[in-house]
Amino acid sequence: MDIFKSQWLIKMLEKSSNTPQGRILSLFDILDDWLTAPSIHVKITPDTAHNQQLISYCTEQALALGASHPSMLAEHIVLIALNAAQQEINNPGSRSLGHAKKAANALILAQTQKEWPLLKAVNYKFSVYGVAASLVLLIGIMVLPSLIENNSLFSSQATASKNDNTKLALLNNTNLSAQDASTMYAKYEQMRNGTCQFPEALQIPDKDRAIYLENVVGGKLPTNLNDLAIANIYLEKVRCNFTPMLMAHSTS
Amino acid sequence: MSILREKILATATTLFQTQGINSTGVDTIVEVAGTTKMTLYKYFRSKELLILEVLTHSHQDFQKWLNDKLNSQAKNPSDKIQKLFDFIEEWVTSPDFIGMGFIKASAEFPNEDNPVHQLSSEQSRQFRQYISSLASEANVQDADGLALQLSLLFEGAVQAEQMKRGSGAMTYAKKAAKILIDGAPTK
Repeated sequence: MDIFKSQWLIKMLEKSSNTPQGRILSLFDILDDWLTAPSIHVKITPDTAHNQQLISYCTEQALALGASHPSMLAEHIVLIALNAAQQEINNPGSRSLGHAKKAANALILAQTQKEWPLLKAVNYKFSVYGVAASLVLLIGIMVLPSLIENNSLFSSQATASKNDNTKLALLNNTNLSAQDASTMYAKYEQMRNGTCQFPEALQIPDKDRAIYLENVVGGKLPTNLNDLAIANIYLEKVRCNFTPMLMAHSTS
Repeated sequence: MSILREKILATATTLFQTQGINSTGVDTIVEVAGTTKMTLYKYFRSKELLILEVLTHSHQDFQKWLNDKLNSQAKNPSDKIQKLFDFIEEWVTSPDFIGMGFIKASAEFPNEDNPVHQLSSEQSRQFRQYISSLASEANVQDADGLALQLSLLFEGAVQAEQMKRGSGAMTYAKKAAKILIDGAPTK
């Protein structure tokens, strides 16, 4: 039996885990167990053209994972598994399949971690808004003294009326303030500088999933305070590693 | 090396990579190189020896190119291993990329007793060893383990690219390599 072509392997993968990522990565554990099992006739065809059934199964899992290119990911992972199994056969005890599993996991992360293309646009917008805000502030500084002298804006009636309007606006307005936006932007920027593991979208309740995908994974600023609150809940669940360990210990 | 020998070697290299080793006959090689079978066998006693020579030269060229790139453009050992996949991606995605000799040869000669398979395996091992030495210089604790992970990523991506040009597999392999390198514990 060529294990890569067998229905048995698909069945084993199917029952190996509750998550698509777990099912893909179990491929390496199952192969490792299989290679060390007694009375097994090892046979592998080093050609993915003959392993379409396995590639199709892994493509389905990659699709469920939300991979950028599911079929490419599946094909690459099956190739890694084939090469690692061959190396394990040639050099028993080399732990090739364990290392292959790590490589496959990194490949899954590479295809499911989102780029932050919107951040550049957001960054640009913030720069533009920053310049605009500075101009307004500058004009304000120049014009304000003369306005105070005329005392036209600071009557008690006007102040009371303005306060009421502000309260009303706060009750009705769910738009993000500049402070909210800059806080979120800082969080996105921080995540961009790390290696982040996002919760699987399928584990997010349906009602929140769109917000999670757009405002947490996609790095797009929420449009209102309700979405912001939900996005913040899931941002807390993103685990990031910011330590470039290799660089930290490098010598120049 | 004589000019004619070089020409036969260059012609065989291109034909093996573009048409496959087993599908390229000696007749085709001599025809494209503009020479005769007698001349070919004068320099290479058999097709198998020609294949071995092609593989040896291709691998030496690749290693030299990679080494020169890393030595001239990487600042320190950590930078070298970080840039490794940048250069490989540039090479694999260039329009002139026709495949990786030892990976193709290994697939065409799966029999472990075959000298071509043995040389391919040895070159694969040498490449892994090269990555391991870079990782070791960068103080990675398990340099051999990281080298194995990176070489599996690399070989898989090259195979995917050989099957389908412009697959983009190397781009994701590069991202995955960065994740592995950044996460590798150091001494």
